Parts: sequence; C-alpha cells; structure tokens
Amino acid sequence: DSTVGSSSDCKPCPCPGGSTCAVVPKTKEVVCTNCPTGTTGKRCELCDDGFFGDPLGENGQVRVCRACKCSDNIDPNAVGNCDRETGECLKCIYNTDSFFCDRCKEGFYGNPLAINPNDKCKACSCSPYGTVDRQTSCLQVTGQCQCFPHVTNRDCSACQPGFFNLRSGTGCEQCNCNPIGSTN
Amino acid sequence: VRPAVGPTPRPDVYPLPPGTHLLFAQSGRIEFVPLEGYNMKKTEAKTVLHLPEKVIIGVAYDCVEKMVYWTDITSPSISKANLQGGGAIPVIRSELESPEGIAIDHLGRTLFWTDSMKDRIEVASLDGTKRRVLIDTNLVNPRAIIVDPVNGNMYWADWNRDAPKIETSAMDGTNRRVLVKDDLGLPNGLTYDPQSSQLCWADAGTHLIECMNPVQGDRRKAMEAIQYPFGITSYGKNIYYTDWRRDAVIMVDRQAGTETDVFLPQKQTRLYGITTAYAQCPSGKNYCAVN
Repeated sequence: DSTVGSSSDCKPCPCPGGSTCAVVPKTKEVVCTNCPTGTTGKRCELCDDGFFGDPLGENGQVRVCRACKCSDNIDPNAVGNCDRETGECLKCIYNTDSFFCDRCKEGFYGNPLAINPNDKCKACSCSPYGTVDRQTSCLQVTGQCQCFPHVTNRDCSACQPGFFNLRSGTGCEQCNCNPIGSTN
Repeated sequence: VRPAVGPTPRPDVYPLPPGTHLLFAQSGRIEFVPLEGYNMKKTEAKTVLHLPEKVIIGVAYDCVEKMVYWTDITSPSISKANLQGGGAIPVIRSELESPEGIAIDHLGRTLFWTDSMKDRIEVASLDGTKRRVLIDTNLVNPRAIIVDPVNGNMYWADWNRDAPKIETSAMDGTNRRVLVKDDLGLPNGLTYDPQSSQLCWADAGTHLIECMNPVQGDRRKAMEAIQYPFGITSYGKNIYYTDWRRDAVIMVDRQAGTETDVFLPQKQTRLYGITTAYAQCPSGKNYCAVN
C-alpha cells in the first residue's frame, strides 16, 4: 500500500526473477502476474500444462519443469497429460497404464515400450471356458492366461493332447482311449 | 533495465471495456484483445482474469449477462465470472474428468461441454442445475463444441487419430449424424458464423482451416499451411485462431485466405480456447421459441 506514506509501504514482489505481481483486492493475497517461461501459479511454483516439476522446491529439491515422461504412450495433442508436480501420467494411450504409461493395462499384455503401436499392448482375450474364474487378465509380458488343468495355449483355448471337453468349464478330461483299439 | 515491479493489474477481473473483444485462455489466465472493426487493438490487450493455479482449456461468452465461462482441467470444473467485475463463480464441480470445449446457448440459457476422458457431451443451465448427458457413445477425443441456437443445431469435433470427425445433432442430442470424416487430421477447433452460415474448423493434422455451409455441404479451404491450431473463432469476414507452435492469436481473412495480423502475448506459453465476446448479442430467436 503506497498511499499510507512510509518507506516500508511497498515490498518487492515475491516472484522469481523480479517479475511483476498484483494484490487481489478482496483477499489481499499477492499473485505473480508474469512468471518465467514454463512456470505458472501464484508464486510461479507450478509447471505449465504438459510439464512437471517443482520449480521452487516447495516439496523438497528444486526440480525444473520438464516435459511429461510417459514412455511415448501419450498423445501430444491431448491436454493435461501428466500431473504438474509428480509427473504421474494421466492420459496413457495404446492400452497402457501406470505412473509412466510403461505397463499394459489390466486385460492386456505385450511390450508397452515397443516402437510400433500395433506391437504394444494386445488384449488377453482369455478363453472363458479354459480360464480359471473366467479371468480377463493375463501375465504382462507373455500374455499367458491362467488355465484349468490340462488346458493349453496362451489364451487357454484348447485341451492338451489326450484330453477333451474344454467346454466343461473346469478343465479338460482324459480321453481314456484303449491303446489297443486306438490309432495314434 | 529492471523489470517493472509492483502491484499492476488486479488479479481478479479487469473490467472489459465496451465493444467487441476476443477472449482467449493462456495457462492460468483469460486475456482479451479489443476489436476495432475487424482488427485487433493489440496494444490494448489485457488480462481479464488471473487464475494462476488453473489450466484453462475452453472459453465461452454469454452476451446477455456479459459473463465468461471456462473449463479447467486441474481441478476438473466449469466456472464463470462477470466481465464487469467480480471473481470466479463455480458452475459444475462434480463428475468431470477432462472438460475441454464449452459453448453457450444465450437464448436458451444453457451451456454445453465436452469431456475427453468421460467421452461425453453434456448440457446444464447456466447456474449448473438441470444437468443432462446428451451424447455418450462413439466419442474418443471430443474437444471443440459450438451451438447455433437460432437453428437449434449443435456441432462438435472429435480428434480421434484413427477416425477424426465433425458431427452435428439437435441441441437435445437427437438426430445425430457425421458431417465430415474424410481428409481430417486433428480437428481441434470449430466455429460457426451465424451471419454467413459458415461452419469452419482448424485442423492441426492437415494444417488447414476449412469451411462449409452445414446444410449445403460445400466444403472449401479457407487457409492453408497453418502450424498448430487449437482454438478458433469467427467475426465478420475474419477468423481468429490460437496456435500452439507460435504461442499467438492469428487473424485470417476468410475470403482471401490470407493471414492478416498476429498477436503475440507477452508470455510465451500455449494458448488454448478462443471466443468472440460480442458487444451485443447476435439477433435471432430461439429455435424452440419459434417451433
């Protein structure tokens, strides 16, 4: 307040690089109005959209604002791709998931870091007859579904040789063919 | 030279002077550029509203109450503020994930928005009540939305890279159909000029601005070789769009297909939604009032 008339009325803006600030009339709160490039917030403590960090070190060490790190599994045309402080990825694509979009999401398997999107995460598509509890998820890398006894294939879609009746929903049964009367 | 220090603009609403303006979002603020005729009075550009902790994506203007409405993706919400003064007033605070485009029906007193994570288009009264989902199928990355209340139409764009499209429906979501699906890339922005009945879109994939009369379907290029458009708005003979590469508002003569002016805000960071704040509401009666 410069209208009172003492030398201590005006204080420097609490903003990085001596940038400008303003006072909200209602709340008397001081807000920086011209934060350095890439930063924003009342005190320039936040990163711009698409970036993350802790430019003032409010929660530990100073971390300059960097572009969202999401394993190339975000779309640059999207907004709000990661958390501005932690960098947690919020809009993973290509069926990926997790903090850095570096895992396949539930129900998918493959290599989320593959270059070609078609080689990334594929649906588990576990056979409902051959899979325990009709699970829809599978192992991350191999895509192996959890099969009933004597059921085979990645997606539990077939009986092992010498077994039949996949559709029983409890596993395949032994054929019990008489070795004397059977071919093969 | 020391930069200017000290409390300069009020960080809440800087009252909007009379006349027509462009309103656009840049990071945690909404800026305005006055229009003189169709030209930008760049030296009189100011911040109308500071919201330092927000990331504002869509902006829309209600010419009746002279309010600006915006979507924020940080604490997903829709808010409004009176451009004559006052602070932000929350409108919608729940059941939002990534609200992006926003449009106002100034005649019906409703607002429409897209949500790119819920993959929905919704409507509510301007105070946030009477909320309803209009479209929730076959949306992947819905962003831009506009309404033409005089004819009762709604238009939106979905930038889904696998199948981008521009769609239309009645303002209650019925009679939905695809208007454009061929030769699109990333249609980020949409605008409708009621005077010329031209629907125009800005595409960051094809780097084109294209226009058509949605009834006649006569599609044509209005501007080629643009860089990375995000928002677009029309006023008279001009189109104004925000660009992510240039961090600028660019003025285009729609007929001539030429860039006629550029406004570079002081701060160099991405610009998002843009809208025209008309001095007076465009004339016309509500479709429902007539029908």
